[in-house]
Order: sequence, then structure tokens, then C-alpha cells
Amino acid sequence: MRRSTKKKIMKTVSYIMLIFMSVVIAFPFVWLVLTSFKTYQQIYSYPIIYLPKNWTLEHYQKVSSLDFKSYFLNSVVVGVGTMIFSLLIGIFPAYAFSRYSFRFKSELLVSVLIFQMFPMVVFLVPMFKFLDWIKLLDTHIGLILAYIPFTTPITIVFLRSFFLSVPKSLEEAALIDGCNRTKAFLRVILPVTLPGIAAVGVYAFLFAWSELLYSMSLLTSKKLQTIPTFLSVFVGQYQTRWGPLFAGSVFATLPPLVVFILLQRYFISGLVSGAVKE
Amino acid sequence: MKEEKIALRMVMPYVLIIVAFVVLLLISNIVMSFSTIDGKFTFENYKAIFTDNVFYKSVFNTCIWVFGSVAGQILLGLLIALLLTQIKRGQVFFRSVILILPWATLDIVAGVMWKWMYNDMYGVLNDILVKIGLAKDYIAWLATPKMAMLAVIIANIWKGFCLSGMFFIAGIQTIPQELYEAAEIDGANAYRRFWNVTIPQLKPVLITTLMFTIIWTINYFPLIYVMTGGGPNYGTETIVTYIYRLSLRFLEYNKAAALSNILFVIVFTIAYLFTRRMAKEVAA
Repeated sequence: MRRSTKKKIMKTVSYIMLIFMSVVIAFPFVWLVLTSFKTYQQIYSYPIIYLPKNWTLEHYQKVSSLDFKSYFLNSVVVGVGTMIFSLLIGIFPAYAFSRYSFRFKSELLVSVLIFQMFPMVVFLVPMFKFLDWIKLLDTHIGLILAYIPFTTPITIVFLRSFFLSVPKSLEEAALIDGCNRTKAFLRVILPVTLPGIAAVGVYAFLFAWSELLYSMSLLTSKKLQTIPTFLSVFVGQYQTRWGPLFAGSVFATLPPLVVFILLQRYFISGLVSGAVKE
Repeated sequence: MKEEKIALRMVMPYVLIIVAFVVLLLISNIVMSFSTIDGKFTFENYKAIFTDNVFYKSVFNTCIWVFGSVAGQILLGLLIALLLTQIKRGQVFFRSVILILPWATLDIVAGVMWKWMYNDMYGVLNDILVKIGLAKDYIAWLATPKMAMLAVIIANIWKGFCLSGMFFIAGIQTIPQELYEAAEIDGANAYRRFWNVTIPQLKPVLITTLMFTIIWTINYFPLIYVMTGGGPNYGTETIVTYIYRLSLRFLEYNKAAALSNILFVIVFTIAYLFTRRMAKEVAA
């Protein structure tokens, strides 16, 4: 009896604290959304106005009139490209790491772990020179090429742990039933690990979606640029145009937010089994 | 033998594209760091770094930035993970709001959002602090080096704690329930159970998370870039923002390459120390 009341108190306290934390942590983003619906007069009002008095769509209209759609589409192209290439390059080594033993296996695994520790900024100049040399500077495919050294290693780490979690006996059964290795992989392994693969793919997509430094420096034509570059234009040294900046930010954050929330189950388990088991 | 052939064929694209690419970039960086502008061999770039006051300042700032951010992220992540594993109903909602929302926010969006909240005149943070009595007067958050550093660290804790939170959730879920029951029978209260069961059981996850958080924080760049640009008066200049400034503002590519290589050495030393400790613990 005493034990169960104690547990109840613990639970209630947990809920109260979680609600408090939710309010504190969500506040910055809620504030951004509220600000995006205020007129400039209300944004720069003193004392501060918390709820917009008459909600305005002027900043959203402004953003739309600046061809936000083109930046959005560019971001989708770069994101999907990064996702496809990371998965294509990453899926086979991940499978090999999980199933076979071969020469240089541990060295290659270490390389995978080390590669995700390189800060992006240090490769910016060599990357620029390299893309210029192979004539891919200021192209989407060039930017995708610049992203995959950073997304593929983490893809391999996650996928390897997904493949490890599939019992070997499943494949062996398929092999005995007369499937060859490719068929066994396609029919047995792939369906089981598909949610995990999708989650990793989305991770690579969102990496490209939110990346600022490379996209800003490697894409110079306006018609090719991505959302983060679009947003950075509103941040001035002396004056920042908060209204359109925040309206654009809401547009930019909604897709990853929705996808993350829908796939959160796979993310949390996948991300963690990948990183914790290493 | 046949298996090895299949495996090597599967790994080949990774080796040919990613490994070759990264090695090429690394070599290019090393060559640049030992070159003059005309391409002659020199140690001058490294000498220039080690006689540069901003370099020492940036190393010092990086230490504070990493210590503050990592301590905050680990503690907040642990607290959230403990709370979230206590409850059953509302998991999806709380996870979405507390863990997913900051994670899904784009780096640049997080930067401008906090910059606006820190605004000394129209910022909502000052208004709230004064209203609840935590501050007497409006604070000029981004105007002095010390406050600016505090401000970017707070923003970074918000942006990054969700990762350690997720690691800890998974870690806590793997702790066998019997350990808690046994401790409870022995008369351990919740506080004792936390220190004697949760923390020791969580230690491997804790160490891994610590390593990743430290390295990611050293490398993390967009937030400072958007909020302060490294200022005021180099107050938030970390090694990575300095590399950025050297190469893209001052166009001193070779000096930037030298600093990049120094940063590699620092990062890999940290990674080596952690993995050696982990290997030792596994062996023991």
C-alpha cells in the first residue's frame, strides 16, 4: 500500500516537471511563431506585446513573393540526393560489416567512426578547390558530393546495428530454401530493417536540409540556393528583417518537425542502438 | 575466401568514394598548411598560429563553450530521460515537444530565434526575467564577451540536449528491472537507487555520450556564427569560428589549414583517450 502511494507521488511529480519543462523548451519556438504573425509595429513595441493583436499574414506573403518555392525545391533536390547517395554507398558496407569477416575490417570500421568527427568547416576550402577542379562548383550534384563524406559514415554506423539486430538464422533459412544471397538480402533482411533504413535516410535528408555553411559557400547562383541561404539573407549586420525571417523559418521547420514526430520511434531506437553499441 | 571476396566488393564503393575523398581533402589540408602563397615549403603558418593571441583566446573560449554546453546538455538530458522513463501515458507528446522540437529546428533558425529573444530592448527574455524578479534591469546579453558566451551556451544547451536525452532513454531502458526491485527490498530509497543502480548501470552509455557530445560541441559552428559571429571582441570566438573567419573573411587559407590540422590533433586525442578507456573497461 505504502509502496503504491509512493509510486503515485513519483508519477505525479514527474508529470508536473515534464509539463513545466515542455513549456520552457517549447517557448522559444512558440515565440518565433507568434512573432511571425505580428506586424512590425507590434514586433518593435515597448512594452512587449505577447499575443499578436491582429494576426497578420504580411510576412508570409512577403516570403512567398520572394520565390521561397524555388529555394524549397532546391532544398528538396539536395536533400533527396544526399539521402539516396548516402544510402546507396552506405548500405552494402554496413551489411558486410555486420555479416562477414574480411581483411582491414576493423581499420575500415575505425575510419567510419573517425570520419564523423571531422568538423565541416576545416574541409571547406579544399572542398571548394576540388569541386572547382572537377567543374562541379555551383551545382546541386557538387553540393551533394560535398555532403556525403559527412552523412555516409553515420549511415553505416546505424545500418550496421540494424543488420546486426536481425538474427543470422533468418537468412540461413532462406539460403537453405534455395534463395541466393542477393535474394535472401532483398526478401528477408530488407523488409525487416526497412523502417530503420528509412529513418537513417531521413537523417541524411535533414542534414542537407539544415546545412548552412557549405550550401552558402558552394552555391553562388541564386536560382540554385537552398532554404538556409535564403534565411541568412535576412540576417543583416546592422538590421535584421525579423518578420519574413521568422515566417520563412516556420515554413522551413515544419517538414522536418512533422517527419521527425512521425518517425520518432525508429529514430530513438535506431540512433541509440547505433551509437551506444559502438 | 569466397565470403571475403563478396565482402570486399561490398565495401569497395565506400573505400573508393568516401575514404579516398576524405584522404584527398586531408592531404590537401596538410600540404596547404606547409605552403606559402607561392607554394613553397614553410613552417610559417604554424608559427603564425602559435604567436597569434586570438588563437589562444579561441582555445580558451572553446574550453568554456564545451564545458558549459556539455555539462548542461548531459544534466538536462539525464533529467529528461529519468522523467520520461517514469511515465507511460503521454510519451509521444512529451518526446515530441521536449526532444524532437529543438532537434528538428534548423541551426540557422535556432540561432536567429535566440538572437531575437536576447535582444536587449525588445527581447522577450529580459521582459520575463524582470517580471518574475530574477533581474532588476534589462541585460545586454550579446554586448559583453562574458554574457555573450553565456548566451550562446544556453542556446546550445537548448539545441543539443535532446541527443544525450535520447541516448540516456535507451540506456535506462536496458537496465534490468530486477536490480531496482532488489535495491528496494534492501531498503534503498529513490535517491540511493539512482546513485547505486542507475548511474553505475548507465556508465558505458554515459561515457559514449560524453565523448560524442564533447566532439560535436567542439565542431559545432552555426549557432555562434549566426548569434554573435565570434564577437564581441573575440568573446565567443572558438577554434572553428576562427578557422571560418581566417579562411572566408581574411582569406588566409594556409593559416586556416594549419589551425585545422591542430584541431584534428585535439579532437583525435580526445577520441583516443575515451576509446582507450572504454577498451580497458571491456577488457577488465
